[in-house]
Formats: sequence, structure tokens, C-alpha cells
Amino acid sequence: MSDALPHPDTKPSGHADFYYAINATFRFVLTRSGIGKLREYWGELGAGYFKPVSDQWTQCGLAGVADYWRAFFQAEPGAEVEVQELADEVRLEVKRCPAIHHLRENGREIVPCFCQHCYFVSEAIAGPAGLSVRVQGGNGSCVQKFMRTKADAPAQDLEEIAAAS
Amino acid sequence: MIGCYDFCGHYEWTFEWLRRQGGHALVKAFWDEAIHRDSQRHAAELIVGKGIEGMKKYWGVTLDDEGGAHHCTATAEVFRIDMHECPSKGFLLRNGLEQYRDYCDHCMGWIGPLMKEAGYVVDHEHNHCGKCWWEMRAATSEARPGAVGEVSGTQDVRLRGDWISKHTDHYERATDPDSKSDRP
Repeated sequence: MSDALPHPDTKPSGHADFYYAINATFRFVLTRSGIGKLREYWGELGAGYFKPVSDQWTQCGLAGVADYWRAFFQAEPGAEVEVQELADEVRLEVKRCPAIHHLRENGREIVPCFCQHCYFVSEAIAGPAGLSVRVQGGNGSCVQKFMRTKADAPAQDLEEIAAAS
Repeated sequence: MIGCYDFCGHYEWTFEWLRRQGGHALVKAFWDEAIHRDSQRHAAELIVGKGIEGMKKYWGVTLDDEGGAHHCTATAEVFRIDMHECPSKGFLLRNGLEQYRDYCDHCMGWIGPLMKEAGYVVDHEHNHCGKCWWEMRAATSEARPGAVGEVSGTQDVRLRGDWISKHTDHYERATDPDSKSDRP
């Protein structure tokens, strides 16, 4: 397994049924405490559990971002993702989101705001590294752009992240 | 995106986040509501009403899929799991991930309420080193947990030289994650 993943395992890829638990966790927090608390959870998860990823991105910049996502999606069963290293951004073309497809194919009710976690978690990872992310699309396929943070850059428009179903 | 490859890492982190938000009661509610009744509802569909036959179908597939090393034994009276290398706890130990006070409690946290719903009780021990055993029997059964080797023979995890640990949690006829006693 690639060194780009800070928490390596002995298995080559994850068990897709764990997407059930991720979706259920979002529903539990959302139902009990609302969207504000769920976004707080995502942000703290990004800044806390994923701090080693943030440290890698601080050290390696956009090249580290690309390395991480290539290794990440290689270990997610059913993912079809192209990672492009452009001059000033890393672009993820998520052609087939493994989580949305597994949940959908197994008849699970998907939390509508599921795809927002990609923005809030990644933004919390990227921020300390001087990077930002913008997400467009969702509900099975999307584009995620990682770039250096600019003060005058427009904020993420959450309307550009599709509701999942 | 948060993924399934390192799921056990952010799952364990989430227990502690929930504990800080709402204490132990919120963590218990999470295991019951989010894991037992939502995420693992396919387990309940197999086990409630079908008992040991359902357990064979659920754990026969799930434990193989998750990797690790285990052995299941089923008779008409008892379903037993000997977990020799828990893939979940093993991942946490290898990566030095420990935010929550006792990750192993999560299994009884969702399996316990499921067994209660199905009319079963659980005898169980986990040694916090990736090794545990479970025996599920009908709540109406008066049978006691099997002695070492009695149910699963040479596969009994308690026969291993590395079974004894500094801290083993012990459950008798339980369905609640808090119904445990500590054994050195």
C-alpha cells in the first residue's frame, strides 16, 4: 500500500459495507442535532483524525494532494476516479463515487446532504496546508478541485453540490 | 471523501467525538440507533426470527469479507465466534489509533441490542488485543457458557498463549455494553 495513506492496512481495499455505517453516522448526527452540528463533525474529523493527511499536504503541496487521492481511491472498492495534476490545481474527476453507488445498489436511503461531507472534510484537511477545495456535482459523480488558498477566491457554493438520493 | 479502507480509524474517532458531545449515553444511542438499526439492519433481518441459522448466514459472510482470522461454531443451542485476529482492532493497534476509552465495546454496543431483539443473550470476553469469543444462546436457555475448548475445540481462542492480557472484559448473559466486569 502507498505511503501516501497515513493509516495503512494489510488488506488491499476496504469493505464497501462500511459505507452503510458512514451514511448512518451522518443520519444519526443530522437527525439528533441538525445540519450545523453535522458540518461541525465533518470539520473536526478533517482537522483531527485526518491531521496526518494535512501534514503531508503541508509538506508536499499539491503533489502530495495528488498522491493521496490516487492511493485513497485505489483502496476504495468500485471507485472510478481520474486524478489530474494541473499547473495550479489538482482536479479529481469522480466518475463513479464508490459510496453513493454501493448505498444505492443496496437499497439504502442516502442522507441528502451526504456529498457535502466531501467539501467540509477536505476543506478542514486542506486549510492548515494553505489549500482549499471546491466541489461541483455529486450524487454519484463530481469534480473536486484542490488549489492554493486565495483571499479573493469565491466561497464554496453549496448549491453546486447535488443532493444525494 | 471519507472512505471504507480506514473506516475503523474514523469510526473509533467518532466514538470519542460523540462522547464529548453527549457523554456515554450518546455513544450507546449511536451504537444502537445508527449501527444496529440502520447500518447493520441486514444483520437484524437475518437474525431476528431466524436465530442461529441467521447468525450463520450473517457472520459466515461478514467475517470472511472483513479478513482477519476467526472461527465460527454453530449447534442447535449456541452460536460461537472465536476471533483470533480482529481485523478492526488490529488496524487500530498497528496504527496507534486510540481516541475512545474502549473501542471493543462497540461490538456489544450494537450486537447486544440486536440479540435482545432476537431473544438471545451473550456470553463474551474481549482482551483488547484483537482477540475475543462470543456465545449466543436463546434467553430461555439455562445453559452456561462452555468451558475452554468445550464448544469450539482447538479453535477456542482461550487456548492461545497470547489470550491472557492485562485487561479482559467479561460479559455473562448480557445484551447491554455496560453489563461487563473487568478481569486482570
